[in-house]
Amino acid sequence: MAIKIEILFPEFCNLFGDMSNMLYLQRCLPQGEFVKTPFSEEPLFLRERPSLVYLGPMTERTQEKVIEKLRPYKERLWQLIEEGVCFLFTGNALEVLGEYIETEEGKRLPALALFQLHAKRDMMHRHNSTFLGRLGQEEVMGFKSQFTMAFAPPDYHPFLEVVKGVGLHEKCKTEGIRYKNFVGTYLLGPVLILNPCLTKLLLTQMGLPQAELAFASEIESAYRQRLKDFHAKT
Amino acid sequence: MKRNLRFFFALFFAKGTALVLKLIGRKGTSMPGSWAIILCPDFLGRMPRPKTVVGITGTNGKTTVANMVEDVLSHCGYDFVCNRSGTNVNTGVASSLIANSTFFGKPKKDLAIFELDERSSPKILPYLKPDLLLCTNIFRDSYKRNAHMEFIVDILQQYIPESTRLVLNADDLLCASLKPQNHRSFFGIDRQPGETAQCRNIVQDIRVCPNCGAALSWEFIRYHHIGRASCPQCGFCSPQAGYRVTQIDADENTMTVDCHGHQQKFPMLNSSTINIYNSLSAIALLSQFGLSTEKIAASMEKLSISETRYKEEEVDGKKVILHLAKGQNPIACSRAFENIRDYPGKKAVILFLDDYFDAAHSVENISWYYDTDFEFLNNPDIPQIIAAGARHWDVCLRLLMAGIPPEKISHTAENHQAAELLSKEGIDAVFILYDVYTIGLANQVKDQTKALLSGGKSAGEQQRA
Repeated sequence: MAIKIEILFPEFCNLFGDMSNMLYLQRCLPQGEFVKTPFSEEPLFLRERPSLVYLGPMTERTQEKVIEKLRPYKERLWQLIEEGVCFLFTGNALEVLGEYIETEEGKRLPALALFQLHAKRDMMHRHNSTFLGRLGQEEVMGFKSQFTMAFAPPDYHPFLEVVKGVGLHEKCKTEGIRYKNFVGTYLLGPVLILNPCLTKLLLTQMGLPQAELAFASEIESAYRQRLKDFHAKT
Repeated sequence: MKRNLRFFFALFFAKGTALVLKLIGRKGTSMPGSWAIILCPDFLGRMPRPKTVVGITGTNGKTTVANMVEDVLSHCGYDFVCNRSGTNVNTGVASSLIANSTFFGKPKKDLAIFELDERSSPKILPYLKPDLLLCTNIFRDSYKRNAHMEFIVDILQQYIPESTRLVLNADDLLCASLKPQNHRSFFGIDRQPGETAQCRNIVQDIRVCPNCGAALSWEFIRYHHIGRASCPQCGFCSPQAGYRVTQIDADENTMTVDCHGHQQKFPMLNSSTINIYNSLSAIALLSQFGLSTEKIAASMEKLSISETRYKEEEVDGKKVILHLAKGQNPIACSRAFENIRDYPGKKAVILFLDDYFDAAHSVENISWYYDTDFEFLNNPDIPQIIAAGARHWDVCLRLLMAGIPPEKISHTAENHQAAELLSKEGIDAVFILYDVYTIGLANQVKDQTKALLSGGKSAGEQQRA
């Protein structure tokens, strides 16, 4: 089966080494086609049905531009999500699909409203933390570095259960959104390299359960060592 | 701001703290300033400032440039207060001002030279109101502290006073965009042989015109977003520099700078591009301060890079080089990796990249590895790379992702065992890369490396034998 992965706006939405996720997938899927869609162009997902659509974290001004850029395509995005196309949105990219972002002045910036979630910005208090969560039997770890906290109703579709660290907001015991094959998480940076179980999940959702992980032995050793440190030190 | 009772209480308490610290033999701490700001949060605004205040800020190079500026001014006979032995945040500045004030807080000296942390601008600049401020560059830095470059540009735009004269990097469009209404001077390096419009780095933080959003047309890209660009749509372009390096003579270790039409030769600390920028920015600042270019050039003859940042030693014809590579700073590390690649001969590299504080109590956010150009280390002249520290598996993985063959990579959790993994065969130099807080460790490993190069066999070699 032909694999086509769309990376949205990589020239801007790549603040914390996030593009490494796609470079790693390229190593795992050497036969895959990776399409980088610049901000000035029309997204590939409008004309095709990619195997995966990826969007990484962005600055606050870029976030407002990205919302407006994607606003005309919100129905198409929802259609693809409902049809089971894989999506991975990391860092504050998730907020683009929420209801609104509230600024420090109390102004509400309307987002695409595909998910019942809103975020509150606090530009003078950056939140930094380590995160350990549970996805079924697997443990997922990562890092958060953000100016926002997010809020969702109790019946939303969480991605991870918090083991250590902060969920969508400081009192929330769940993190991110997982709906069908859409995964959105505030974890940033090389989440797929940090979590081989997550890469496996993504590959399975893309219909490639047999795909081999690149550097499988090293990535597993790094994961085990880091997991040990997450349990012991965080 | 007027001095009130609270201010005087904070001042006397801070002076008392400084006296106690002096009696117990502790120097260069920011504790007096910390107490002053705890007791009187707007202490910096109430403390009388010296007649002239010069600030040096920016992501990279500010410590080196501040040291150079201070050394030149000292050589030229100026007496000034500075924060060289303290910290570059508000508490360090407050401590320096307190230490150099009379009993009631009046400044003893008329001139202050301060290295200023750009992230701390909101807590310093509105109070200190520098007369002259140099910004060396604006890059991605620690994700935790600095978030992203747009955030840093925004706080500098907001908090640099209108009255401050600026000295800015013309080759950095982020830096050059600061405070367009202020009096501004620019410095830059002319296009050098081999420089193209292709970016060879992972990170390039400015790609579109800040005015209209069109893709920029680059005359050349030196590294990351450093270079010269123009907008084909609205005419926006990099500013013309009043201080331009027109010629670099690596053999003579000199550079020629066009200072507003006057050509002057200056000595270089070394020929790495970052140090040429450091020297050039110091020259531009000192010239704007009022020193003649001849006087600056004569004083710069006596300068050298601080040995805590770069130090070369030789053992049996092989070099052992300590090279600072600030942890969590992808740009500083990328520059260091490029320097290593360009250094002559075959090189082995020992990497201590772990964050000192995070490694002790937490797990470091290693995302910055993937903004750092480890790819520069993927070079036939670099046959060995050793990674040591808590995150050694993660560094190993990053090296593999950079395409470096696994047989070139060794790694260990034990920092002190790094030198034991070294093989002296077929190498001309060993680079030891360390973070600001691991200089002690780097020196220990340097001594172990020297012992190995001067005849001993490493554990790795013994095992191989």
